[in-house]
Amino acid sequence: MATKEEIVNGFIKAIVDGDEAASAKWAKEGVAANLDAYELVTKHGGDAMSIVNSKYERKEFFVPEVLCSANALNAGVDVLAPHMKSDKTSEPATVILGVVEGDIHDIGKNLVKIMLSAAGFKVVDLGKDVPLAQFIEKTKELKADVIGMSALMSTTMPSMKKVIGMLQDAGIRNKVKVIVGGGPVTKEWALSIGADDRPHDASAAVGVTKDLVAKVRAERGAW
Amino acid sequence: MGEMTPRKRALLCVTGNKRKADRISCLDTLTTCTVDQMNAVKAPFPEANRDPELAFRLAAAAWEVVGLEGFKMPFDLCVEAEALGCKINWGRIDRHPSVESHVFADLKDLKIPEDILDRGRFRMKHDVELRLMKEYGDYLPVANQVTGPFTIAGHIFGIEKFCIWTKKRPLEEVKEALMTISEMNIADCKRALRSGAEIICIADPSATSDILSPAFFRDVMVPVYKNMSRKIGAPIILHICGNTSAYLPYMPDTGFDALSVDAQVDIGFAKAIVGNKIAIVGGVPTITALLFGTPQKVREAAIDAIKKGVDVLMPSCGIPPRTPLENFKALVEVARCMVYQ
Repeated sequence: MATKEEIVNGFIKAIVDGDEAASAKWAKEGVAANLDAYELVTKHGGDAMSIVNSKYERKEFFVPEVLCSANALNAGVDVLAPHMKSDKTSEPATVILGVVEGDIHDIGKNLVKIMLSAAGFKVVDLGKDVPLAQFIEKTKELKADVIGMSALMSTTMPSMKKVIGMLQDAGIRNKVKVIVGGGPVTKEWALSIGADDRPHDASAAVGVTKDLVAKVRAERGAW
Repeated sequence: MGEMTPRKRALLCVTGNKRKADRISCLDTLTTCTVDQMNAVKAPFPEANRDPELAFRLAAAAWEVVGLEGFKMPFDLCVEAEALGCKINWGRIDRHPSVESHVFADLKDLKIPEDILDRGRFRMKHDVELRLMKEYGDYLPVANQVTGPFTIAGHIFGIEKFCIWTKKRPLEEVKEALMTISEMNIADCKRALRSGAEIICIADPSATSDILSPAFFRDVMVPVYKNMSRKIGAPIILHICGNTSAYLPYMPDTGFDALSVDAQVDIGFAKAIVGNKIAIVGGVPTITALLFGTPQKVREAAIDAIKKGVDVLMPSCGIPPRTPLENFKALVEVARCMVYQ
């Protein structure tokens, strides 16, 4: 039987290589060897996605490679999920993601979702062409920590500003942090509409979200 | 050389011969329509995308209302996907039509019907181009826009699926699918050229280096584009959204006349890489200058682009429908007062 080290390294390599079959195979080995399934997914799967992130940042990987790695991670998660114990000590942060109304370009948002999920966030994906009021309703309902909005068309960018105004009107702007993204969205513009940050790409979204969660939880306490 | 017309000027500038023109050309072969133009000629979206009379009026508004020195059809990027059977969301006055559903589950399923140019809105597009040519053709050029092969692949297969296939399927199969799609583009362009169009614009927004590697661009996209440039036989502008800097070394190999670059690409940098091998057009940022800026900001951006050697003054990407008319007009004004001789 493979050692823990071999399994972990095999699993990480399979994800980085975007090899679904190998990822599922190493996940099964992990189950057979009684490894902690939760740790295998969040820690080692997360490590693998960090490697993918840095390769993406260094322009060694592009979107197709990232999508293949995400699929490989998911193949491993499918095997491991039934074996994951849910007795986690700290409540994972909740992030709501969506492409604003009028916009159906969701590849960027999907990448952010993959990255955040792998990093252990509870990600609720509202999909694309999301009616603006739904961001507010879901934020309240799920007691979200961070909202991530995406727009890939300059024509739909103003909707992000509207959502921030709606959060203010609902009296919950100080309970949640807002990040925005998408091709035409600049950091300067994001800050001018009152968003908290604009991560420069999907991989940067992980660090930014972690920081914002820590900040909002310190400022706000519980919802 | 006889009298210089906007048509002659555009053809010279698009093909990299701006020094032979009296001044730089200012046209827009990307999305030209704004709400201000729609209101001015009473031809609003979404109807103007499908009604030939409204489409003619809105296309003509590029010159009649804004002063742009040329026309372009159609206004959206869904003509091909629609004709192939994708469901289209027709949008509203300030929202372009978009593709809602894909039609092919696998590369093997791709089939372009023989009568494709008689489906959907191809006929309407060519009819409007013919009418523009008849009414303005001796003075202003008509551009026929096609959606590029990679973007169409994203529409008909789903962009994520197609991206994954670029890694998981033999590259030859992926290239072959794109070649098949490009043949539809070529047939479209040939008919458009017979209808009086004189410039071709290939809008391939999804083929951006934000998504694809420069190696994929070089090994797959360049041969597909080369197939198009060899067979179309007219001045061709390629537009790709986002940062295309990493593609620049391979651009001259496409055989295209001009590359339209988005705001993320520095015009001076692009010119330094491609030299005189392919014209660089665009250069005026759609978001910071045209949509959210002022006429003064547009003028400054336009002058900056000219200083850096841009060959045709054009918005850097599709114009957002809510762009104020006075900002758009400021672009044309700059071109009008830049005289070489």
